[in-house]
Amino acid sequence: MALAVTKGAQIAGIVSVVPSFTEDNAELSIIPEMERAALISLTGIRYRKIASEETKIGDLFKASIDRLMSHLNWNADSIDVFICVTQSPDKPLPSISCRLHGELGWKPNTLCFDINSGCSGFVYGLFTVNALLAGLNKKNARAILCCGDISSRFTDPSDRAVRPVFSDAASAIGIEMGDDEDEITGYFNLETDGSGKDAIQAGGAKDADMYMRMNGIDIFNYSLKHVPHNVNELLSFAQKEVGFPDLFVFHQANKLINESIRKKISIPVEKVPYSLYDYGNTASATIPLTLGTIWNQHAPKTGWIAVTGFGVGFSMASGLIKFNPKICFPPVEI
Amino acid sequence: MIDLLHPDHFLRFTATELQVNPTQLSADTEFRNIITWSSLNALLFISRINEETNVLISAADLAACKTIGDIHHLIIQRSNGVSRN
Repeated sequence: MALAVTKGAQIAGIVSVVPSFTEDNAELSIIPEMERAALISLTGIRYRKIASEETKIGDLFKASIDRLMSHLNWNADSIDVFICVTQSPDKPLPSISCRLHGELGWKPNTLCFDINSGCSGFVYGLFTVNALLAGLNKKNARAILCCGDISSRFTDPSDRAVRPVFSDAASAIGIEMGDDEDEITGYFNLETDGSGKDAIQAGGAKDADMYMRMNGIDIFNYSLKHVPHNVNELLSFAQKEVGFPDLFVFHQANKLINESIRKKISIPVEKVPYSLYDYGNTASATIPLTLGTIWNQHAPKTGWIAVTGFGVGFSMASGLIKFNPKICFPPVEI
Repeated sequence: MIDLLHPDHFLRFTATELQVNPTQLSADTEFRNIITWSSLNALLFISRINEETNVLISAADLAACKTIGDIHHLIIQRSNGVSRN
């Protein structure tokens, strides 16, 4: 276990963008027609967003940053930390965060780097940003965290396990230090079981190995073995009961896995939102994207939510975070 | 909870989950030959076993099994619950 608290930093805003092109699992020719309804029922996924060949993850990040900064009324000079979380950079170097920093014309006072992380990436990124902001010698320091992938880049069009699940999207999250730098605003539990490294992988030496391959049964096993424990340990660390968080927002893996986890932790169904049906599994963007889809229908009680990412690695992380954003919007198509 | 440790109960459970007539199944039935067996149904079957028994069956475990009886034997061996270690 890697248990930690973060102080002062809170999410100020969340926006997400998705490509406009949509694939419908009900019409997916690689799945026999008789099996499509069962597939949609089991995964919970009907529609998936697919980026054009020309679109790069940096383009999605840039569109989401523009939207975020415009709605928060943040100017570029105020961004102290900029981190991009992705596993689908269009080129290995320089980092997407440095490239975007240049393209956006930001001044040099910004700390920039990328995190190579998938389904657990939002929580890892949030913890990293929170810790960095608290360490900066600046009052009300600000950060932008971008999360997302163009997973379709690694998808074998004939792969019946991968193609019906993954989808493309990006989210930008604005995070800001509050006036009280000693206030606990997040509890985190970050873990890894590298014995699961082969359950999802891509990028071998041969062309065919560049595609993402996923062992669905092993992903199910690692998820059920670790994720409920990870969440329960976090709640215990924070000295909270399972009834405390207003919401438990899980990485949107698929409905079967997520519902199995929910039942193991005994979380009421109304506290566990989904965005799978319309957006599929968008890797590190799933948690902010899901929050955007449901936040305007949500009535906060304690003002704390639990967020849990898990997957490729096998990597997992949960956060119990104080959540009262100024903006939290549904995704827009670009 | 269904008592899946009982062989007859496990056969009925398997028939229900794979949507076949229970009279078509025995402990010696090779599950890959069941007409409804697919990667999708395999995942569903594994998840239902976990729901009822707390036993996790990996892809490697399943690959080492040939018959319904082999899977049942595995469940009996592991029915003390899930260990993270």
